[in-house]
Amino acid sequence: MTPELLSGGLLLAGLLAAMLRAATPILLAALGGLVSDLAGSVNVALEGLMLVAAFFGVIVSAHAGMWFPQLAPAWYPWLGCLAGLLAALTLTGVLAVCHLEWGADLIVAGIAVNILAAGLTVFLLASLVGDKGSTAALNSPVLPSLHWPVTADRPWLNVLLNGAYGQGHHVLLYVALLGAPLLALFLKYTRYGIWLRAVGENREAAFNAGIPVRQVQYAALLLSGVLAGLGGIYLSMGYLSLFQADMTAGRGFLALAAIFLGARSVAGTFCAAMLFGASTVLATQLGAQQIPTQLVYMVPPLVTLLALVASGARRRAKARSS
Amino acid sequence: MSESTAQALIAQQQRRQILQQRWRLPLVILASLAVGFAMTAMVSEEPLQAFLTLLTGALPRLQWSPEEGWRLLRMVRFGAVIEDAVTLTFLGLAVALPFRARQFSLGADGQMFLAALAAAAVSLYVPGPAFVVLPLVFVAACATGFAWGALPGVLKTRYQANEIVTTLMLNLIAIQFYRLLVSGCMRDPGAGFLVTPLLPDRLILPLLLDKTNVTVMLLLAPLVVGLAWLLLMRTTWGYEIRLVGQAPAFARQAGVPVERAMWLSMACGGFFAAFAGVHVSNALLKRLPVDLTPGLGYEGLLVALLARNEPRAIPFAAFMYAYLRTGAQAMERTTDVSREVVLVIQALMILLVVSERLLPRLAEAWRSLVQRGAR
Amino acid sequence: MSISLPPVLVLQSVSKLYANGTLANDNVSMEIAAGEIHAVIGENGAGKSTLMKLLYGLEQPSSGRILLHGRVCVLRDPRQAIAAGIGLVPQHLQLVPSLTVTQNVVLGSEPTRGLGQQLLHSRAAVQAVSTAAQRFGFQLDPYAVVGDLSVGARQRVEILKTLYRGARIVMLDEPSAVLSEQEASALFASLRRMAEQGLTVLLITHKIREIRTVCDRFTVLRGGRVTGGGNAQDFSDAAISAMIVGRELSATSSATLTRRPPGQNAVALVGAHGLTVKRADGRVVLNGVSFEIAAGEILGVAGVEGNGQDVLAHVLCGLRAPSQGHADIEGVVFTSRGVRRARAVGVAATPEDRLHDGVAPAMSIIDNAMAVQYHQAPLSRRGWLDLAAMRGLARSIMARCQVAAAAPEALIGTLSGGNMQKIVLGREIASAPRFLIASQPTRGVDIGAAQVLHEQLCALRDTGAAILLISADLDELLALSDRIMVMSQGEIVAHFPAQQVDPGVLGGYMTGALRAAAAAALLASPFTALPAPAHHEEQA
Repeated sequence: MTPELLSGGLLLAGLLAAMLRAATPILLAALGGLVSDLAGSVNVALEGLMLVAAFFGVIVSAHAGMWFPQLAPAWYPWLGCLAGLLAALTLTGVLAVCHLEWGADLIVAGIAVNILAAGLTVFLLASLVGDKGSTAALNSPVLPSLHWPVTADRPWLNVLLNGAYGQGHHVLLYVALLGAPLLALFLKYTRYGIWLRAVGENREAAFNAGIPVRQVQYAALLLSGVLAGLGGIYLSMGYLSLFQADMTAGRGFLALAAIFLGARSVAGTFCAAMLFGASTVLATQLGAQQIPTQLVYMVPPLVTLLALVASGARRRAKARSS
Repeated sequence: MSESTAQALIAQQQRRQILQQRWRLPLVILASLAVGFAMTAMVSEEPLQAFLTLLTGALPRLQWSPEEGWRLLRMVRFGAVIEDAVTLTFLGLAVALPFRARQFSLGADGQMFLAALAAAAVSLYVPGPAFVVLPLVFVAACATGFAWGALPGVLKTRYQANEIVTTLMLNLIAIQFYRLLVSGCMRDPGAGFLVTPLLPDRLILPLLLDKTNVTVMLLLAPLVVGLAWLLLMRTTWGYEIRLVGQAPAFARQAGVPVERAMWLSMACGGFFAAFAGVHVSNALLKRLPVDLTPGLGYEGLLVALLARNEPRAIPFAAFMYAYLRTGAQAMERTTDVSREVVLVIQALMILLVVSERLLPRLAEAWRSLVQRGAR
Repeated sequence: MSISLPPVLVLQSVSKLYANGTLANDNVSMEIAAGEIHAVIGENGAGKSTLMKLLYGLEQPSSGRILLHGRVCVLRDPRQAIAAGIGLVPQHLQLVPSLTVTQNVVLGSEPTRGLGQQLLHSRAAVQAVSTAAQRFGFQLDPYAVVGDLSVGARQRVEILKTLYRGARIVMLDEPSAVLSEQEASALFASLRRMAEQGLTVLLITHKIREIRTVCDRFTVLRGGRVTGGGNAQDFSDAAISAMIVGRELSATSSATLTRRPPGQNAVALVGAHGLTVKRADGRVVLNGVSFEIAAGEILGVAGVEGNGQDVLAHVLCGLRAPSQGHADIEGVVFTSRGVRRARAVGVAATPEDRLHDGVAPAMSIIDNAMAVQYHQAPLSRRGWLDLAAMRGLARSIMARCQVAAAAPEALIGTLSGGNMQKIVLGREIASAPRFLIASQPTRGVDIGAAQVLHEQLCALRDTGAAILLISADLDELLALSDRIMVMSQGEIVAHFPAQQVDPGVLGGYMTGALRAAAAAALLASPFTALPAPAHHEEQA
């Protein structure tokens, strides 16, 4: 193996690994958004849900030792994960009740939830930690990473499977990668998956067929909250090991864009999320080559816009020809 | 059921609805403030003091002294309220107008950023006396805002592209473009951080209040609100926007140009967002930093929703919003409660305001409780 | 088939009185035997859909009993109806387009295996669906995606849905309304096979032809009451038609309104030439419709709803472009040019669905009254609205049409249906049109308001405008029109001078009992020959 090929392969593997890492939170949130969108409810609150999950994950896992002295330290991050998910579920519950029971417009309520989450997390951050920027002062654990033993003669495989520093990929990254096919199977082969799609496409038909529509709508929203929560937990307990104010930085909205870019299918959403992850990685790489990072960051939204225009143009052409 | 009893029932229902509508906003505000108070009580040693500061901290203080008589103190803080309220008024209009046509345009942020960029560019690079360049600043900003608002509108009418996604994406593109220019060709080489050069003095808007950034924009704001109201209520364009928002099928049947009303409403939204951009660049900051925080547009959304998309109510909603925000800043400085609690209060207000069925349900539950108690 | 078998479904004096006072079903009694194909036939508003709702548990009878297999049956919701073996194939199909045929058929009652009753047992489902399909002669691919299927195939999926849930009595609501000729024949063949296997079929329809082709027995509803019934072969088409439609002309309406004798003003003001509309799925909903209307003439359009009248109205007012053909006013074409252009040439229209397409309920009367003229002087100049002119217009419309509302600023949604329709019609008339298309102008309107509306229509006609009056109310048509054309299946099938025709004949052509070759309602066209006066059946 020539040195150039070796280094080229290593570079590619490193980029790929970095892309996966960057795409994970977007993918998780996008899968959640897709679930609720297929059931007919557009969840724009993904951003806020990620944020609260990230926050409560860090706080609970950092204080777990204090609150549960009997517990083995290995369990702290998992406790944090559970707390983060519960927080995201609660907030999603608020959104669901406001929309389904009290008739609030889902998009407006979603935006309000985003603002609520932003305010709540910083408020609690300041009160509990005393620092409005981040929880750096706390020593919060991260969820474990999975390491694959790779023989020494395949360094690029090592980089691909275990990351640039050989520490292994985060467990939630594997959850995200597995989650996409699992979701696809769920939607195709289980009863509830079919019910979910039916409720989203023709609510009346689903109701008349005896499907508990209200229950399915709640379940879809709550499931989207869980997935978005996982995305947030990954940010604060994997990607980084602390919580920063506004650490989601628009990933929740990118997740929404990924759903539309992926034409509301699991495979498309997966690819779109990978694209967005790639652009983040590319930005830093190209930044080193004097290409301004802002241009690279413009690519995902631009691509989304072009995809929307293309599908609209296609529909126009079809309508005109018939 | 006879005709008369049916009519009596309908009349009773209508009366109940009117009563509920009138009480809705005050109850919502009270409930949200109550929750905010509960939150401060949980984390603060002196919640009452903190909350009181929240509610009154933005107010100027009237002081009497024998030498100088009555004086207004703390005007700087109150000035911040006014500045915020002015920005939020424009941003509220930017959201409310498309909303009247039932278009969920979330693009106020991006429109404001690009308009601020245009205003700063004209201010920095177009030579000439103030009375020539300043109007050009406004024209450039408004044209930019109008165009950036028309873009998602056209995408929607021609390609059925969902306006929520397109405006969010355009926001991202606009902000990146802003950052590109500010850290690139518009950068001030002498400054220590990424920022544009200081805008020329003659193009900074004249101050109304010393030591604050309250400028003539304060006088311009009600004029712009009036313009928005006139547009909506007294022009054919505004009539079309309202009709399309209320009954799109009827509008089409009557021959109203529905598509034009849709994108025009979004373009006009951008037009009003541009004023916020000029305010930020030529009044508040006087130079544009690369890290100008996005998100103000969403606060404009909250203001528009609180004002129920009615232009004349937007300044009041904006004022209340800015008032609470500054009060929260004061609270943070003087007590141990951080100012983000006000975000929670405001978000709760929106949630409660748009939960249409909440009040009727509560009223019903209350009535049945009373009935059961009476029995 | 004789009725020697015990009846499987019996209605005894079933009535349904709604809360707003409407008596939708009045002492309806019917007996239906097992393995029978029974038609419930009647016009719109005769009470057919209410009867269906009662049988499916969507409503409960105010009085009377329903007996299933000899036992009294109380159906409180569709689930109980399904459990009792009654299935309904609705007119608007309830299918999920992205799912397959199998998934749609078993929707809500999927067979499952394992994983806590979650994993779909697709093989079992496919098996069940193919068996059922084969049994009744349905040609359906269980793996086909419903969104790709034709309307006829989709309807069969709906029928399979009921059969899968064990229905022994299958009700179909106007099934042929959305089908082409061939698809309808295929459907009837399937229905016959179902009946052969012992299922009972209840067919709700308004087409007499279907009684002939597929039904054993029938019942006629009119005004909520049973006006006749029996074995299909014992009655002639004309007799059945008379049962469906026959009514006396109300004496009042014809006396107060004058009509121009035919033949005067024989120059056409409005002409429609070969209007054809072909939908995206290939179905032709309007086929070569040609007519002419002279100035000061009212051309009535009779026909059961869903036979192309609404498409014709949409084409003429500019909402929809025809695939072929055009219409013009004195040579100036106004179709395919959009609504604004049509209005500019002098076309006005009152829509069928007033609440959805005719008003903005949450806006004031003023805002509604100016909707068609706001962009012109005097209501606006250069984009600036003139409030006084707007209010004046609203006031004048209200005065002319006798709308006694509080003020022009009141929300139009608070008005009664009649008053709302007055504003709608008044607004169109105020724009001084040369051609008005009035679709169901007095539907849901009280008698007093209907009178005022009729007067306004006649006043408009007297100014020299041409009016196309589309109505399901034969009294109204006969009273107001100068000529009447009958539409069926998207074509004009008959053309009469209004004075010379009676509801029986009209009804015959509307329901398909009488058939003429596709006609054109041109001014110079010969009128359709009236049938020889048949000896009249007793009209109950």
